[in-house]
Amino acid sequence: MAYLDIEHLHFQYSSKRMVLKDINLSINKGEWIAILGHNGSGKSTLAKLIVGLLSPKEGSIIIEGQKLSDETVYDIRKKIGIVFQNPDNQFVGVTVRDDIAFGMENLQIPATEMLEKIDFYAQKVGMEQFLDKEPSQLSGGQKQRIAIAGILAMQTDIIIFDEATSMLDPGSRAELMEYIKELHREGLTIIMITHDIEEALFADRMIILKSGEIYQDCEISVALRHPEWFEEAYLELPTAMRIYYDLRQDGETYQELEEYLWEFSLKK
Amino acid sequence: MGIQFKEVNFSYTGVQKGFYEAIKDISLTIQDKDELITLVGQTGSGKSTLAQHMNALVFPTSGSVEIFGKLVTAKRNRKIKYNEIRQKVGLVFQFPEYQLFEETVEKDIMFGPLNFHVPEIEAKELAKKALRMVGLSESYLNRNPFNLSGGEKKRVSIAGILALDPQILVLDEPTSGLDPRGKRQLMNLFKSIQMETGKTIIVITHDMDLVYEYATRVLVLNAGCLVFDGTPDSLFKKPSLSEFHLDYPATIRVLREINERFHTQIDIYQKTVSDATIAIKRGFKS
Repeated sequence: MAYLDIEHLHFQYSSKRMVLKDINLSINKGEWIAILGHNGSGKSTLAKLIVGLLSPKEGSIIIEGQKLSDETVYDIRKKIGIVFQNPDNQFVGVTVRDDIAFGMENLQIPATEMLEKIDFYAQKVGMEQFLDKEPSQLSGGQKQRIAIAGILAMQTDIIIFDEATSMLDPGSRAELMEYIKELHREGLTIIMITHDIEEALFADRMIILKSGEIYQDCEISVALRHPEWFEEAYLELPTAMRIYYDLRQDGETYQELEEYLWEFSLKK
Repeated sequence: MGIQFKEVNFSYTGVQKGFYEAIKDISLTIQDKDELITLVGQTGSGKSTLAQHMNALVFPTSGSVEIFGKLVTAKRNRKIKYNEIRQKVGLVFQFPEYQLFEETVEKDIMFGPLNFHVPEIEAKELAKKALRMVGLSESYLNRNPFNLSGGEKKRVSIAGILALDPQILVLDEPTSGLDPRGKRQLMNLFKSIQMETGKTIIVITHDMDLVYEYATRVLVLNAGCLVFDGTPDSLFKKPSLSEFHLDYPATIRVLREINERFHTQIDIYQKTVSDATIAIKRGFKS
């Protein structure tokens, strides 16, 4: 049994259309997976189901052998944290310190321990100078880092990033990616929901969702050998790979160059 | 006509923050036709503040903005009908889809024109026309906006502004949150609206690939100052963009890496993947 197992999961909102259809997925501890899909493919819905913000219509989500239900959802939220897309929608505290404390308060962690943890995790995300600041004094990237600190402080095993970088400028985005890499090296399991292939390349494994179904589930290097999958799923390959396939089209070979473009694209 | 900024400064006064200069000493002219401008710069550089000056949604702290002949300064002038400015220059906020509120797409698009006292029959016609402009068929008119996909909602909300027939359209990060295909579709849409109607369109974005491929002009803001105003070609030919906190488009980055690795002299300034491939082939043959 994997750390997280999703079995025959179906979901629909009140309208007729099925948003997720028969999702089967296993995620091991320490893995970094990217869930890739076009707008409306069901990626964010899947994330909300995994953290129990929505309930499945059919099927189950099992975390460390425990099935997610109304009774277990609070236990399970100690194991899985989520960072959302819009930094402004998830800042709940009056100050940075309050915001980091929010999740821990829900877990009823004693005040002294909480204060120590706030300092520790603020430092970990490089925001220790900002503890007394208000959200209006922070950039989007800084708010995302605070959100991460709040989740780290709860010491979950998994963090889901639900398009967490899509509203950031390129600088803050690169910074956040570096930081996620470090968390992964330290053993955290990462589920990255994105439609940016460049970001997905940092993962070990890629799940491509298409219209609510798992269309592909494989290693990144395997996926990149199938440009037609990306076409089919309304996604785009990274620029270097698009050039790679373009070069190969008319039969001439540029072997060394092709190898280089391949290496250039793979981040691992 | 169009918009002229003259030495415009704008400061926010906050409770704790004290005094914060969002834009500094901006002088700038925007033509009332045939421009597809991108406005870029890192978060907090003043892009949205600058955009909000373009239709008198905010007033400069000092300096002036002349918008279609009406002078906007720190002091409000009772003789100026600021609403008329907002009809000439339409501003679409980030995530405009959150602002849909009517029960049908038609009513939502008609809201603006009705507010400007356009008769109902005419407003209906404008709604139809605007919907066509954003690439949606008339069958959408009676649909509930809340049941549309994210991309469709975005188009409906843009149609709501287009229905006012503004001469200049300003969009604050319209492509953020869209997948690659959605981004391209939207930019193609702006390009076709711009070409068919001659309207000037201004797009705020972080995506340098889109800037390179679509813009006729690019404005770069850095810490509230206008640090560049020119063509995308001249911007990306600069040897470094780090002082602007910007990156190069992906084609330039990849081609530059190839030249370094293989000691080739490929012309790296290519806007599309197919042009890049042709340039590589040429470079490797010689």
